[in-house]
Amino acid sequence: MENKPSSFVDRPVVPGDVVLDLSKMSNQTIKIGGGLRQESDFITVMKAGKLRFSKPNKYWVESSQKRYMPCVEDTVLGIVVDTKAENFLVDIKGPALAFLPVLAFEGGTRRNIPKFEQGTLLYARVAKANPGTNPELSCTDASGKAAEFGPLKDGYSFECSTGLSRMLLSSPTCPVLEEFGKKLSFEIAAGLNGRVWVNAASPSTTIVVSNAIMKSESLSGVQQRIMVRKLLDRIQ
Amino acid sequence: MGRRRGRRRTRTRRRLPSRSSGSPKQGRLEKEYEMVLKRTLQSICILTIHPNTTTSVIVQVVHDDGALLPCAINASCAALVDAGIPLKHLAVAICCCLADSGLVMLDPTKLEEEKMKAFVYLVLPNSILSVLPEESSSVKGEQMEQGLITSVTHGVMSVDDYLHCLERGRAATSKMSDFLRRNLQPQLSSDSSKAG
Repeated sequence: MENKPSSFVDRPVVPGDVVLDLSKMSNQTIKIGGGLRQESDFITVMKAGKLRFSKPNKYWVESSQKRYMPCVEDTVLGIVVDTKAENFLVDIKGPALAFLPVLAFEGGTRRNIPKFEQGTLLYARVAKANPGTNPELSCTDASGKAAEFGPLKDGYSFECSTGLSRMLLSSPTCPVLEEFGKKLSFEIAAGLNGRVWVNAASPSTTIVVSNAIMKSESLSGVQQRIMVRKLLDRIQ
Repeated sequence: MGRRRGRRRTRTRRRLPSRSSGSPKQGRLEKEYEMVLKRTLQSICILTIHPNTTTSVIVQVVHDDGALLPCAINASCAALVDAGIPLKHLAVAICCCLADSGLVMLDPTKLEEEKMKAFVYLVLPNSILSVLPEESSSVKGEQMEQGLITSVTHGVMSVDDYLHCLERGRAATSKMSDFLRRNLQPQLSSDSSKAG
């Protein structure tokens, strides 16, 4: 019984590549994630990206797009578009507007419904996401606590690709944020749907951090650090 | 320049080039290219994944220096990959033209294309990396790399010349496949990232 992961793991793949041969792997259960599809006896790639594997048996393709497909338990940044009786309508850059129930806040009752104007930026979690229907959000975590979800005040938000927002959320901290964190003080919220919010005490800090993040998508770790050091030298 | 927009019913719309004089003959050629482009893209997209959605592909001709349809197909394929539309494989297009002496020339300019006695636009699937060993893919009969997605010929050529063009086109598209493979990767730094 073979238990080796595919030889293409962590390598770039394009649509059409055959990454697994199921006839060689009998008696194993494999979980296929996004970007892969099963064609009778093999697993082929549908989207261009990097093939990833996580023990014991999960394969998926990590790709970066401008558009976002809602997925349960993703943390996203949404903008309130409208208010209805039962829900807020929130735009999360997906194919459909998301619903945020008015009671989905910590200690939320009919008496203290928050008043969000059109254009409020919210940090929320996707609670339900099915292909044909509007996704549902929640501003509490699974146990009902607020956990930093809710409206974001001040600051500056911009859009980016999903790959960049995943890089900003990766651990260990991505080089851009680490280098900035050594000299400047700021806070950011990155939504997996390709929206990022930056807030700092002074506008110039906000601007320099936002611009550096936008430019860092195609740079390697070392290049990001060099860019950040050059920017910091210029402003100090 | 190709751009993919929206998620509505599948339909291809193609804007006329900015220097269009609106003559009927030019309109017919554009319509033919539109039909060929639409059918080619329909054959590479996996249409069953998102039912009830439109994929709208808009191609804007900035400058036409020969081999317009292969260029449009390559651009649309790159746009679909960039947008994350699920595809069965990539489509790589090339124009092979046949000179009077029997020489096959690839990717002609507009003047060369007009002077040649015949040319053919070929669209082939890209060369794929596979974990399958060579023997098992040939057992199935037709290998993937021997496939042909689209072929549009113009002018008069013999069957041998056509097969010759096809062979040359296949050699060229394997090089173009490698180029596409290198350049279609998102250029993210390869740090460890959270699953998702």
